[in-house]
Amino acid sequence: MENRVITLCYRKVIDANATKAWDKLVFEDSYREFKMQAQLYNQDNKYRSFAELLQHVPGAEQLHFLVSAAVTGYLQTLNEVVPDIINNLGKHFLRFNKYQFEIINSDLQNKSRHQVAFNFYSEPLVWHETIGNYLLVSENKAASSEMLTDLFQLQPYLSIYSLTTEA
Amino acid sequence: MERKSFLKSLLVGAFSTPVLITACNTEEVSPAEGSTDSDSGTVSNPGTSSSSCTVAPTETEGPFPTKVPASYVRSDITDGRTGYKMTANITIGNTNNNCAGLADAIVDIWHCDAAGNYSEYGGSGMQSTNYQSVHFLRGRQTTDANGLVTFTSIFPGWYSGRATHIHVHIYNASGKSLKVTQIAFPEGDGTAIAAVNGYEKGLSGYTYNSRDNVFSDDTAGVQIAQVTGDTTNGFELSIKLNVAA
Repeated sequence: MENRVITLCYRKVIDANATKAWDKLVFEDSYREFKMQAQLYNQDNKYRSFAELLQHVPGAEQLHFLVSAAVTGYLQTLNEVVPDIINNLGKHFLRFNKYQFEIINSDLQNKSRHQVAFNFYSEPLVWHETIGNYLLVSENKAASSEMLTDLFQLQPYLSIYSLTTEA
Repeated sequence: MERKSFLKSLLVGAFSTPVLITACNTEEVSPAEGSTDSDSGTVSNPGTSSSSCTVAPTETEGPFPTKVPASYVRSDITDGRTGYKMTANITIGNTNNNCAGLADAIVDIWHCDAAGNYSEYGGSGMQSTNYQSVHFLRGRQTTDANGLVTFTSIFPGWYSGRATHIHVHIYNASGKSLKVTQIAFPEGDGTAIAAVNGYEKGLSGYTYNSRDNVFSDDTAGVQIAQVTGDTTNGFELSIKLNVAA
């Protein structure tokens, strides 16, 4: 039987509406770092939004990377477990070891327009069945007679990132 | 940019931008902004949104997040990059105070590795959770009472079109940019540049300071650091950079 092996991507958007402590720290620190690093690309103080910097200043796309330094420390505290996404038992089950940080929008004069995201790329999972709105998955490792599974629902900002079919 | 004009632009910027901003910027979303895929206004708290009909998390609370400094904040910026050891002592002086050492200034430095490459996002932009190496050869320190910061790194390599250099961005304690500049290296017989000899690349095609588009106007050599040491024991770089704070 063919195994469908998938990886998931969860895009966690963090903005001024953040309520959780972790999210708030990421919001505050990434905004402060953005304001610091953006000065490198804005030495004449001509621009105020991230979009303007991207459009007018060569190299400004490096700000994604430069600002990420302020928040990678928070990722470590997650212990490679994707936040927010839970299985149908209400537990976090998704593991990641790849991520991408991005600045979605920001504004040097208006903090409330600052918006960033972490994209978490999950470890490979075997996709066994689809039951109603739920996907039945298990870790991708050598199968014994009994496999432990997780049942979870696709939801906004969670998507299947890659698909591999194994014989 | 030339130092004088840059400083001037900072001053002009500081006073004139608020007016400009009000004049040119409204709160409307500009067309450019629309092009960065955003405005996800519908779900403000993804994963826990009530619109997705999933069970609520039922787990032991935690972890309890505490403030984590940026991963740049460190003295040793080597991150496993190989090369001749280099210690960089950078003193920040305040031109508004007879160039006395400026305490509590934030100093960022970054430079390329032995092969001439910087840490940056690659094609896909995806990073692994091996966070340690992501921001190699980039660091941030806050100056002590004498205005000094010290970094441990490797002697930088070079790449086409530029003399060997270290980028420096100096901020005041609250993060306001005071100066963006670069440090140059002495050249010629007996210098570190000659001893390192461009690592594996050699120095064929190397851009010397006099031909470098950043350093060529620095005829007085104020951007050139003092560099001592050798390839066995490593190098020690010292320079004083004065800013108006």
